[in-house]
Amino acid sequence: MSTVLRIAREEWRLWLRSKVVVAAALIVAVLLAATSVLTVNRVAEEQSQRIEQQIAAEQTFFAQPDRHPHRMVHYGHYAFRPPPPLAVFEPGVDAVTGQSIFLEGHRQNTAMFADTKAAADLGGFASLTPAILYQLLLPLLLIVLGHAMFLRERESGTLAVMLAQGQSGTKLALGKAAALLAVIAIFMIPLIGVAAYSVSLGESALAATSLVAGYFLYLCIWGGIVLAASILLKQRAVSLGALIFVWLFAALIVPRFAINASSAVIDAPGKIESDLVMLAEQRKLGDGHNAADPAFMQLQAQVLEEYGVETIEELPINWRGVVASYSEAELTELLNSYADKRMELEASQSHLFGLFGFASPTIAISSASRTLSGTDLATHHRFLRESEDLRFGFVQALNEKHATDLDYTADINRNNGEEASRAARINANAWQVLDEFRFEPDSAVQRMDRAMPSLGILIAWLIAASGVVYLASRKVRL
Amino acid sequence: MLRHLSRETRFLAKDRGAVFWLLLAFVLSVVAVSFGIAEVREQRETIATLIEEDAADRSNALEGQEDWGSAAYYAFHLTYAPPSDFAFAAMGQRDSSSWKHRVRMLALEGQIHEADTRNADFGLVGRFDFAFLAASVAPLLLILLLYDLRASERTMRRHDLLVATAGSSRSLWLPRALVRVTALALLLLMPLWVGSTIEGTAASLTLQASGIVIGSLLIWWLIVELVSRIDASPSILLTSLIGLWLAIAILVPAVSKAVIEAANPVPDGGEILLLQRETVNDAWDLPKEATMDPFVERHPEYADHSEIGEEGFEWKWYYAFQQVGDQVVEPLATQYREARLARDKQAGVAAWASPTSLVERAFEKLAGTDARSMIAYEDRVRDYHRELRAFYYPLMFPEEPFDEELLSGLPAFTPTS
Repeated sequence: MSTVLRIAREEWRLWLRSKVVVAAALIVAVLLAATSVLTVNRVAEEQSQRIEQQIAAEQTFFAQPDRHPHRMVHYGHYAFRPPPPLAVFEPGVDAVTGQSIFLEGHRQNTAMFADTKAAADLGGFASLTPAILYQLLLPLLLIVLGHAMFLRERESGTLAVMLAQGQSGTKLALGKAAALLAVIAIFMIPLIGVAAYSVSLGESALAATSLVAGYFLYLCIWGGIVLAASILLKQRAVSLGALIFVWLFAALIVPRFAINASSAVIDAPGKIESDLVMLAEQRKLGDGHNAADPAFMQLQAQVLEEYGVETIEELPINWRGVVASYSEAELTELLNSYADKRMELEASQSHLFGLFGFASPTIAISSASRTLSGTDLATHHRFLRESEDLRFGFVQALNEKHATDLDYTADINRNNGEEASRAARINANAWQVLDEFRFEPDSAVQRMDRAMPSLGILIAWLIAASGVVYLASRKVRL
Repeated sequence: MLRHLSRETRFLAKDRGAVFWLLLAFVLSVVAVSFGIAEVREQRETIATLIEEDAADRSNALEGQEDWGSAAYYAFHLTYAPPSDFAFAAMGQRDSSSWKHRVRMLALEGQIHEADTRNADFGLVGRFDFAFLAASVAPLLLILLLYDLRASERTMRRHDLLVATAGSSRSLWLPRALVRVTALALLLLMPLWVGSTIEGTAASLTLQASGIVIGSLLIWWLIVELVSRIDASPSILLTSLIGLWLAIAILVPAVSKAVIEAANPVPDGGEILLLQRETVNDAWDLPKEATMDPFVERHPEYADHSEIGEEGFEWKWYYAFQQVGDQVVEPLATQYREARLARDKQAGVAAWASPTSLVERAFEKLAGTDARSMIAYEDRVRDYHRELRAFYYPLMFPEEPFDEELLSGLPAFTPTS
């Protein structure tokens, strides 16, 4: 064991003497620190802002004066998605999707005003987050540090001496691995710091620890790849070139290629396209504003029979409210079936994208990282579903008030002058039907479940990389 | 010189490493161009289907309407920005701004910010298009091709001998590098040229794009040339060059972006929406004049037709408060648009600090997929919405009798191209 440690210590001594290595490590460290501080501040600000906006939206809704209940259906409400605590490390899809959504009767709106739409356009990958630095920059640092670890011994002739002294290649490789591991451990500190901070913000320790573990796995994979290259290849420049190529492929080319490929393989129609198909179907359902629409005749017969009366005027409830509630339910079912189909297609696209993790560990870690942080596509979809439940909930509660609290005759005459319009209002206390909405990230266990495939791919990568290092180091000859 | 070049070409053909990087460049370019063309075709097909379905839906919606108000309420109109014939090379902002809408004569501010959702994961990672290849990956390939021209000869201990026998170092290093840069440029550009021919791109556009690629390669060549004069080992040279690439391709753009966005805040989108909704909703409870007065201020020609009766519901009043809703948020919406333009303008200046950003932006500009083009499309949608109002108002306000025939004269959306 002490041989392994001695080899590792020697490696560190050499690194510390190399200006390039020290400079590179310092630059990466400064970048990590700066980006972490900036992202933490930005996300913390956004989080408190969204929560305030959510509360303000509820207050305004409750504060509306006496009105016709259907007016409140159209007045609508907002749902905001505050970034989860771990978004300080991995903001994920939040910048792309927009974080607020307008909820109103008869419509499912999309989340609007994504940050990227108004972003200053400077090309390719112009936003830095701590997660991106870990995914792209740290592997490069490991490459710079480690591409010649083994080669160096070969070049300087010390390899021959060590082998002659009876040291095995495996032991030598183990020592080098220990040295790299120490580097990785040091560079995990900022992530551990950010993760600990997120726990202080209320993140579960399990999710935060898994995130740290995931990145540790990822960096170890790169350490393995780097070490393997330095054992297998016989020239420094070749080793460095080959590793840069692997990095270029894994970090830049495969992820974008995977995007192109999965959007080409699975065609998810846009909202306008699927809306058009739906509109044709919706027209058959009838217009909820017009209670005389023929589509409602059957409903009318049924309700009249239920209450044992002849005309809708005799009903103890407001017929227009019944119709509004009925057609909202029908419409929502239809809207949801289309929305679900769209989300399923998107989810299967992302699933396919995730499979490319077998070609690039960067894809695997980025999927796992978004999932564990609660900033992945699945969380966005859940936000859409929950805000839809909120929408349907308050719209139907208002429709119920419409049916029970507002007289039918008064309702029909609502447009006949100032006084009639005043008569067709209900007390503002009814607005309390709106549920409080606080979007919460998935539980840590659920997130872990979802991240398992990606983490599994990472483990497979680690096994493969260490296997190659082991086999190569056993065969080390001069 | 020719003799030197042909000699170096022979050398290059035998350098397995260099041939590998060049082949990789070619394969990546083919992949980027074919994916680009496939995507552009899909977008065109989508637009064609949408035009058809939109027309069918509208005629269905208009059928049996009995007044102007309901006709305008139920009829949606498709607006879209078709991809240009060079969009295959740079999808640019088409991935983050929506290029299709369905609008009707209600308040536009509630409609124009709708995003036709794409898979969010996609927007996050970005596409592998030719612009990305030329701007970010090609410089890296160039670095890998050129960094060890001198250093490898030094490692082989041939450097001094070569320099001594070659007479001038220019006849030695220049042809060697020139052959590699030319090969890289040609292999990158050939698929682009084929793609341009397939897509029918104007020759002048292709020529400009080729010029941009060559120009950027020349800049990177200069950078590599300057760095590799340092007498250091190949791996140190490569490390420094990769560091420079990182700084130029990733750090400088990211920092400029952060600074520009902090300096030009855009109004919170939610606020635009909220204000518009509040205005439109409040109008129901306000005296009718509160809506009609600001409306007439904008449209004095309807001053004589702006009396709204106490009894019953009138569409005129409904559309007036929709318009007033737009009028009230106009300053905010303008501010949002201006801030986006200002950000884009400053990004254009900042891009001069990074050849990578410069190339991407230049490509997007040629392809009509830059922020400016997307804003121009939104302006086009606003114009069209104005045409819709100009069509209905003269019928609705003077209360002309409803005539279904006249609806065939509804303005049609024509994209600018």
